[in-house]
Amino acid sequence: MTTEWPGDRALVGDDLRWWRSHPGSGLVKVFRVALTPHPGREAAAWNLLDAGERQRCRRFLYPAPRRRFLLCRAALRAVLCVALGCGNTELTFKLSEYGKPIPLVRGDRVAVHCNVSHSGGHGLVALSDRGRVGVDVEERRPRKNLEGLVETVFGPQERALLSGLDGQRWLDTFLTFWTGKEALAKAWGMGLRTDFSTFQVPPEMLRGERTGLFRCPRISKATWRLEDIGNDDLAAAVAYEEDPGAGREVVTGAARGG
Amino acid sequence: MSSTEERIRALVDENLEIEGRPPGRPLDLDSSLRDSGVSSLDFVAFAKLVAQEFGVDVSMEECASINSVGELIAFLDAKAA
Repeated sequence: MTTEWPGDRALVGDDLRWWRSHPGSGLVKVFRVALTPHPGREAAAWNLLDAGERQRCRRFLYPAPRRRFLLCRAALRAVLCVALGCGNTELTFKLSEYGKPIPLVRGDRVAVHCNVSHSGGHGLVALSDRGRVGVDVEERRPRKNLEGLVETVFGPQERALLSGLDGQRWLDTFLTFWTGKEALAKAWGMGLRTDFSTFQVPPEMLRGERTGLFRCPRISKATWRLEDIGNDDLAAAVAYEEDPGAGREVVTGAARGG
Repeated sequence: MSSTEERIRALVDENLEIEGRPPGRPLDLDSSLRDSGVSSLDFVAFAKLVAQEFGVDVSMEECASINSVGELIAFLDAKAA
Protein backbone atom coordinates (compact mmCIF):
# COMPACT_ATOMS: atom_id res chain seq x y z
CA MET A 1 0.00 0.00 0.00
CA THR A 2 1.24 3.48 -0.81
CA THR A 3 2.60 5.18 2.31
CA GLU A 4 2.73 8.70 0.94
CA TRP A 5 -0.58 10.35 0.26
CA PRO A 6 -0.10 13.37 -1.98
CA GLY A 7 -1.91 11.69 -4.81
CA ASP A 8 -5.24 11.47 -3.02
CA ARG A 9 -5.73 15.00 -4.26
CA ALA A 10 -5.79 13.77 -7.80
CA LEU A 11 -9.51 13.05 -7.91
CA VAL A 12 -10.47 16.25 -6.08
CA GLY A 13 -8.69 19.61 -6.02
CA ASP A 14 -6.85 20.84 -2.94
CA ASP A 15 -9.41 23.55 -2.36
CA LEU A 16 -12.24 21.05 -2.06
CA ARG A 17 -10.61 18.01 -0.46
CA TRP A 18 -12.65 17.14 2.66
CA TRP A 19 -10.48 14.40 4.16
CA ARG A 20 -7.07 14.47 5.81
CA SER A 21 -4.86 12.10 7.75
CA HIS A 22 -5.96 11.45 11.31
CA PRO A 23 -3.27 10.84 13.96
CA GLY A 24 -2.58 7.25 14.92
CA SER A 25 0.27 4.77 15.08
CA GLY A 26 0.74 4.89 11.33
CA LEU A 27 0.55 1.12 10.98
CA VAL A 28 -2.80 1.58 9.34
CA LYS A 29 -3.99 4.72 7.59
CA VAL A 30 -6.89 6.63 9.11
CA PHE A 31 -8.47 9.66 7.46
CA ARG A 32 -10.83 12.11 9.07
CA VAL A 33 -13.69 13.17 6.80
CA ALA A 34 -15.35 16.58 7.19
CA LEU A 35 -19.11 16.14 7.03
CA THR A 36 -20.37 19.71 7.39
CA PRO A 37 -22.66 20.98 4.61
CA HIS A 38 -20.61 22.18 1.61
CA PRO A 39 -22.28 22.26 -1.82
CA GLY A 40 -18.98 22.23 -3.74
CA ARG A 41 -17.65 19.19 -1.90
CA GLU A 42 -20.97 17.40 -2.18
CA ALA A 43 -21.04 18.00 -5.95
CA ALA A 44 -17.47 16.71 -6.30
CA ALA A 45 -18.33 13.69 -4.15
CA TRP A 46 -21.41 12.93 -6.24
CA ASN A 47 -19.24 12.77 -9.35
CA LEU A 48 -17.11 10.03 -7.75
CA LEU A 49 -20.00 7.69 -6.93
CA ASP A 50 -21.20 4.91 -9.19
CA ALA A 51 -24.82 4.39 -10.17
CA GLY A 52 -25.60 2.07 -7.27
CA GLU A 53 -24.13 4.45 -4.72
CA ARG A 54 -26.10 7.34 -6.18
CA GLN A 55 -29.24 5.25 -5.97
CA ARG A 56 -28.49 4.58 -2.32
CA CYS A 57 -28.02 8.32 -1.74
CA ARG A 58 -31.47 8.96 -3.15
CA ARG A 59 -33.03 6.54 -0.65
CA PHE A 60 -32.00 8.57 2.39
CA LEU A 61 -34.95 10.39 3.88
CA TYR A 62 -33.03 13.29 5.41
CA PRO A 63 -30.16 15.49 4.17
CA ALA A 64 -27.69 14.93 7.03
CA PRO A 65 -27.37 11.13 6.78
CA ARG A 66 -27.38 11.40 2.98
CA ARG A 67 -24.48 13.86 3.14
CA ARG A 68 -22.56 11.63 5.59
CA PHE A 69 -22.80 8.64 3.27
CA LEU A 70 -21.97 10.70 0.18
CA LEU A 71 -18.86 12.40 1.59
CA CYS A 72 -17.54 9.28 3.36
CA ARG A 73 -18.03 6.97 0.37
CA ALA A 74 -16.40 9.45 -2.03
CA ALA A 75 -13.46 9.96 0.37
CA LEU A 76 -13.13 6.18 0.68
CA ARG A 77 -13.00 5.90 -3.11
CA ALA A 78 -10.36 8.64 -3.36
CA VAL A 79 -7.97 7.15 -0.79
CA LEU A 80 -8.48 3.61 -2.09
CA CYS A 81 -7.64 4.70 -5.64
CA VAL A 82 -4.31 6.02 -4.35
CA ALA A 83 -3.60 2.98 -2.20
CA LEU A 84 -4.44 0.57 -5.01
CA GLY A 85 -3.12 2.61 -7.91
CA CYS A 86 -6.39 2.22 -9.77
CA GLY A 87 -8.87 4.48 -11.47
CA ASN A 88 -12.14 5.40 -9.79
CA THR A 89 -14.21 3.64 -12.44
CA GLU A 90 -12.24 0.42 -11.86
CA LEU A 91 -13.18 0.41 -8.18
CA THR A 92 -16.36 -1.31 -6.99
CA PHE A 93 -17.54 -2.76 -3.69
CA LYS A 94 -19.28 -5.93 -2.71
CA LEU A 95 -20.86 -6.51 0.69
CA SER A 96 -19.78 -9.23 3.07
CA GLU A 97 -22.39 -11.51 4.64
CA TYR A 98 -22.86 -8.95 7.41
CA GLY A 99 -22.81 -5.85 5.21
CA LYS A 100 -19.16 -4.78 5.40
CA PRO A 101 -17.98 -3.20 2.11
CA ILE A 102 -15.15 -5.09 0.41
CA PRO A 103 -13.21 -3.22 -2.32
CA LEU A 104 -12.72 -4.82 -5.73
CA VAL A 105 -10.60 -3.59 -8.62
CA ARG A 106 -11.85 -4.69 -12.02
CA GLY A 107 -13.96 -7.19 -10.10
CA ASP A 108 -11.09 -8.80 -8.19
CA ARG A 109 -10.37 -8.82 -4.45
CA VAL A 110 -7.41 -6.63 -3.42
CA ALA A 111 -4.86 -6.72 -0.60
CA VAL A 112 -6.07 -3.53 1.05
CA HIS A 113 -8.86 -3.72 3.64
CA CYS A 114 -11.06 -0.78 4.54
CA ASN A 115 -13.71 0.35 6.96
CA VAL A 116 -15.78 3.50 7.48
CA SER A 117 -17.59 5.03 10.44
CA HIS A 118 -19.44 8.29 10.96
CA SER A 119 -21.26 9.99 13.81
CA GLY A 120 -22.75 13.46 13.64
CA GLY A 121 -20.20 15.73 11.97
CA HIS A 122 -17.34 13.25 12.20
CA GLY A 123 -16.36 10.60 9.68
CA LEU A 124 -13.38 8.25 9.67
CA VAL A 125 -12.00 6.03 6.91
CA ALA A 126 -9.42 3.34 7.76
CA LEU A 127 -7.23 1.45 5.30
CA SER A 128 -4.93 -1.45 6.10
CA ASP A 129 -2.62 -3.64 4.03
CA ARG A 130 -1.83 -5.68 7.17
CA GLY A 131 -5.16 -7.51 7.22
CA ARG A 132 -8.69 -6.85 8.35
CA VAL A 133 -9.50 -3.48 9.90
CA GLY A 134 -12.40 -1.91 11.77
CA VAL A 135 -12.99 1.68 12.83
CA ASP A 136 -15.62 3.36 14.97
CA VAL A 137 -16.30 6.98 15.88
CA GLU A 138 -18.84 8.52 18.21
CA GLU A 139 -19.57 12.16 18.93
CA ARG A 140 -18.44 13.14 22.40
CA ARG A 141 -21.86 14.35 23.54
CA PRO A 142 -24.30 13.31 26.26
CA ARG A 143 -26.77 10.65 25.17
CA LYS A 144 -29.90 9.21 26.68
CA ASN A 145 -30.19 5.75 28.18
CA LEU A 146 -26.52 4.75 28.12
CA GLU A 147 -26.60 3.61 31.76
CA GLY A 148 -29.04 0.88 30.81
CA LEU A 149 -26.54 -0.54 28.34
CA VAL A 150 -23.67 -1.16 30.73
CA GLU A 151 -24.73 -4.66 31.77
CA THR A 152 -25.45 -5.62 28.15
CA VAL A 153 -22.28 -4.50 26.43
CA PHE A 154 -19.45 -4.49 28.97
CA GLY A 155 -17.48 -7.16 30.77
CA PRO A 156 -16.78 -7.29 34.53
CA GLN A 157 -13.60 -5.21 34.56
CA GLU A 158 -15.09 -2.60 32.26
CA ARG A 159 -18.18 -2.38 34.47
CA ALA A 160 -16.06 -2.10 37.62
CA LEU A 161 -14.08 0.78 36.13
CA LEU A 162 -17.24 2.60 35.08
CA SER A 163 -18.84 2.15 38.50
CA GLY A 164 -16.15 4.37 40.05
CA LEU A 165 -16.74 7.27 37.65
CA ASP A 166 -19.39 9.89 37.04
CA GLY A 167 -20.13 12.85 34.79
CA GLN A 168 -17.86 13.51 31.82
CA ARG A 169 -15.25 10.95 32.93
CA TRP A 170 -17.95 8.26 32.97
CA LEU A 171 -19.13 9.25 29.48
CA ASP A 172 -15.59 9.44 28.08
CA THR A 173 -14.70 6.02 29.48
CA PHE A 174 -17.98 4.54 28.24
CA LEU A 175 -17.29 5.87 24.74
CA THR A 176 -13.67 4.67 24.79
CA PHE A 177 -14.79 1.14 25.65
CA TRP A 178 -17.72 1.20 23.20
CA THR A 179 -15.72 2.49 20.22
CA GLY A 180 -12.93 0.00 20.98
CA LYS A 181 -15.33 -2.91 21.07
CA GLU A 182 -17.26 -1.82 18.01
CA ALA A 183 -13.99 -1.31 16.07
CA LEU A 184 -12.97 -4.88 16.97
CA ALA A 185 -16.41 -6.25 16.06
CA LYS A 186 -16.32 -4.41 12.72
CA ALA A 187 -12.81 -5.70 12.03
CA TRP A 188 -14.03 -9.25 12.68
CA GLY A 189 -16.79 -8.51 10.16
CA MET A 190 -19.84 -9.16 12.33
CA GLY A 191 -20.43 -5.71 13.79
CA LEU A 192 -23.33 -5.57 16.20
CA ARG A 193 -24.03 -9.27 15.75
CA THR A 194 -21.13 -9.80 18.13
CA ASP A 195 -22.12 -10.16 21.78
CA PHE A 196 -20.11 -7.28 23.27
CA SER A 197 -20.42 -8.60 26.82
CA THR A 198 -18.31 -11.68 25.98
CA PHE A 199 -15.06 -9.76 25.49
CA GLN A 200 -13.28 -6.74 26.93
CA VAL A 201 -10.88 -4.13 25.60
CA PRO A 202 -7.22 -5.19 26.06
CA PRO A 203 -5.75 -5.10 29.59
CA GLU A 204 -3.41 -2.23 28.67
CA MET A 205 -6.42 -0.09 27.78
CA LEU A 206 -8.22 -1.05 31.00
CA ARG A 207 -5.16 0.45 32.69
CA GLY A 208 -5.61 3.69 30.75
CA GLU A 209 -3.15 3.18 27.89
CA ARG A 210 -4.23 4.19 24.40
CA THR A 211 -3.35 0.95 22.67
CA GLY A 212 -3.22 -2.73 23.43
CA LEU A 213 -3.22 -6.22 21.97
CA PHE A 214 -6.43 -8.23 21.89
CA ARG A 215 -6.14 -12.00 22.07
CA CYS A 216 -9.19 -14.17 22.58
CA PRO A 217 -9.04 -17.54 20.77
CA ARG A 218 -12.66 -18.16 21.75
CA ILE A 219 -13.60 -15.31 19.39
CA SER A 220 -10.73 -15.00 16.90
CA LYS A 221 -7.52 -16.93 16.25
CA ALA A 222 -5.70 -13.77 15.15
CA THR A 223 -4.04 -11.21 17.41
CA TRP A 224 -5.50 -7.73 17.05
CA ARG A 225 -4.10 -4.28 17.76
CA LEU A 226 -6.62 -1.85 19.19
CA GLU A 227 -5.82 1.88 19.23
CA ASP A 228 -7.75 4.70 20.88
CA ILE A 229 -7.56 7.46 18.25
CA GLY A 230 -10.04 9.81 19.89
CA ASN A 231 -9.48 13.46 20.74
CA ASP A 232 -11.39 16.26 22.48
CA ASP A 233 -14.08 16.30 19.77
CA LEU A 234 -14.68 12.64 19.16
CA ALA A 235 -14.28 9.19 20.67
CA ALA A 236 -12.77 6.80 18.15
CA ALA A 237 -10.87 3.55 17.82
CA VAL A 238 -9.27 1.48 15.10
CA ALA A 239 -8.64 -2.28 15.29
CA TYR A 240 -6.50 -4.29 12.90
CA GLU A 241 -4.78 -7.64 12.60
CA GLU A 242 -1.41 -7.59 14.32
CA ASP A 243 -0.33 -10.87 12.78
CA PRO A 244 -2.15 -11.24 9.48
CA GLY A 245 -2.47 -14.83 8.41
CA ALA A 246 -2.31 -16.30 11.92
CA GLY A 247 -6.02 -17.02 11.83
CA ARG A 248 -8.57 -15.91 9.32
CA GLU A 249 -11.89 -16.81 10.72
CA VAL A 250 -13.90 -15.50 13.62
CA VAL A 251 -15.44 -18.24 15.74
CA THR A 252 -18.95 -17.01 15.23
CA GLY A 253 -20.70 -19.17 17.82
CA ALA A 254 -18.43 -17.90 20.57
CA ALA A 255 -18.72 -14.34 19.33
CA ARG A 256 -22.43 -14.66 19.81
CA GLY A 257 -21.90 -15.79 23.37
CA GLY A 258 -22.15 -19.51 22.72
CA MET B 1 -52.75 2.13 15.43
CA SER B 2 -51.77 -0.78 17.68
CA SER B 3 -50.95 -0.24 21.31
CA THR B 4 -47.36 -1.29 20.67
CA GLU B 5 -47.01 1.16 17.79
CA GLU B 6 -48.44 4.00 19.84
CA ARG B 7 -46.03 3.36 22.71
CA ILE B 8 -43.06 3.00 20.36
CA ARG B 9 -43.85 6.24 18.56
CA ALA B 10 -43.91 8.05 21.93
CA LEU B 11 -40.60 6.46 22.97
CA VAL B 12 -38.98 7.43 19.67
CA ASP B 13 -40.11 11.03 20.04
CA GLU B 14 -38.79 11.19 23.60
CA ASN B 15 -35.51 9.32 23.16
CA LEU B 16 -34.29 8.96 19.61
CA GLU B 17 -32.71 11.83 17.73
CA ILE B 18 -33.39 11.52 14.02
CA GLU B 19 -31.33 14.34 12.56
CA GLY B 20 -33.13 16.39 9.93
CA ARG B 21 -36.57 15.01 10.67
CA PRO B 22 -38.93 18.00 10.64
CA PRO B 23 -40.74 18.58 13.96
CA GLY B 24 -44.11 16.91 14.02
CA ARG B 25 -43.44 14.84 10.89
CA PRO B 26 -44.93 11.38 11.44
CA LEU B 27 -42.37 8.65 11.84
CA ASP B 28 -42.04 6.41 8.80
CA LEU B 29 -42.18 2.94 10.31
CA ASP B 30 -40.58 1.24 7.32
CA SER B 31 -37.58 3.49 6.75
CA SER B 32 -34.15 2.28 7.79
CA LEU B 33 -33.01 3.78 11.08
CA ARG B 34 -29.41 3.72 9.91
CA ASP B 35 -30.40 5.58 6.76
CA SER B 36 -32.16 8.08 9.03
CA GLY B 37 -28.85 8.85 10.73
CA VAL B 38 -29.35 6.91 13.97
CA SER B 39 -25.96 5.63 15.14
CA SER B 40 -25.43 2.05 16.24
CA LEU B 41 -24.83 3.18 19.82
CA ASP B 42 -28.00 5.28 19.94
CA PHE B 43 -30.03 2.47 18.41
CA VAL B 44 -28.75 -0.22 20.77
CA ALA B 45 -29.41 2.09 23.74
CA PHE B 46 -32.92 2.76 22.42
CA ALA B 47 -33.65 -0.91 21.77
CA LYS B 48 -32.53 -1.75 25.31
CA LEU B 49 -34.81 0.97 26.72
CA VAL B 50 -37.75 -0.30 24.68
CA ALA B 51 -37.09 -3.87 25.80
CA GLN B 52 -37.18 -2.75 29.43
CA GLU B 53 -40.40 -0.80 28.85
CA PHE B 54 -42.03 -3.88 27.33
CA GLY B 55 -40.50 -6.35 29.78
CA VAL B 56 -38.64 -8.42 27.19
CA ASP B 57 -34.99 -9.26 26.56
CA VAL B 58 -33.19 -8.09 23.42
CA SER B 59 -29.74 -9.35 22.49
CA MET B 60 -27.09 -7.50 20.48
CA GLU B 61 -27.68 -9.91 17.62
CA GLU B 62 -31.40 -9.18 17.69
CA CYS B 63 -30.61 -5.43 17.70
CA ALA B 64 -28.43 -5.90 14.65
CA SER B 65 -31.23 -7.63 12.78
CA ILE B 66 -33.76 -4.84 13.39
CA ASN B 67 -33.59 -2.17 10.68
CA SER B 68 -36.68 -0.05 11.20
CA VAL B 69 -39.20 0.97 13.83
CA GLY B 70 -41.72 -1.26 12.07
CA GLU B 71 -39.40 -4.24 12.51
CA LEU B 72 -38.94 -3.31 16.17
CA ILE B 73 -42.72 -3.33 16.65
CA ALA B 74 -42.95 -6.72 14.91
CA PHE B 75 -40.14 -8.03 17.14
CA LEU B 76 -41.96 -6.90 20.30
CA ASP B 77 -45.29 -8.30 19.12
CA ALA B 78 -43.61 -11.65 18.38
CA LYS B 79 -42.02 -11.70 21.84
CA ALA B 80 -45.39 -11.00 23.42
CA ALA B 81 -47.20 -13.67 21.40
